Amino acid sequence: MLLMKTMMIFSRKWFNFFSVVLVASMLFASCKVTFVPEYDAELSAQIDESAKLVDRFYLEMLETTSNQNDGRAFEKFIQGYIDVEVELNSLLNKNKIKPLNENSTRICEITLELWKKYKNEHKTDNSLSDGLIKLNRQTFGDLFYAMQVAEKGKEIVSEPPK
Amino acid sequence: MKFDIEQTINDMLAAIKGVVSDHWDEVKTVATEFLKRRKDRLQLIAELRISGELSQEKFESRLNDEKLIAEAELNAAAVISKAIAQKAANAAIDVLSKAVKGVVDVII
Repeated sequence: MLLMKTMMIFSRKWFNFFSVVLVASMLFASCKVTFVPEYDAELSAQIDESAKLVDRFYLEMLETTSNQNDGRAFEKFIQGYIDVEVELNSLLNKNKIKPLNENSTRICEITLELWKKYKNEHKTDNSLSDGLIKLNRQTFGDLFYAMQVAEKGKEIVSEPPK
Repeated sequence: MKFDIEQTINDMLAAIKGVVSDHWDEVKTVATEFLKRRKDRLQLIAELRISGELSQEKFESRLNDEKLIAEAELNAAAVISKAIAQKAANAAIDVLSKAVKGVVDVII
């Protein structure tokens, strides 16, 4: 009788132990944490294209125009400003719809905010000095670099161990 | 087969350390590049103020914009940190998972 009782307790303990171990192993086998979205090669390429678009916009303004005779009047560059703003809006929306992507989204928001600000300054002054063109070009180059660093950073997750 | 929690924890820590050290250079390179770019921008802003191309009002406005650019750079660095943390956490979970699976396989 005592032996039977002992065996029952013993087997119940084993059953509990097995259950815990099985559940734990099933949980761990499927458990992966996710802090960032997957790397998006298409988005990375679009960031590169947008960076080139802005670089070309300011370089052409710097090299082919001057402030003399209203050569840098705002109206002469409206189309360029629209093209870039469309690209920046597109980048922002593509980032916004991805879950866990608040960092990249914020970088896009800042870039768009400063783009609109400098566009309005150009509109108000109706001219842009060489120095300001250089500063704007550098500023956006640096913001696109930050955007690209953020996107490429997501590649770390899928890289094989070194 | 005995489940050695001490050994498993040590292996998990080693996995985390491995992932972090694998990517430490990337973090360092990006941080250095951000600082270099910041220095270049601030130098240009100062030059433009001294030459008079930037009025005092616009000079202050540009310095305020620097805060936004710094925020963008910090967000970029945050993505790298999160990606490394994700990879390290999953490497540790893999170690634990394999250790538990090894014990289960022997028992079953």
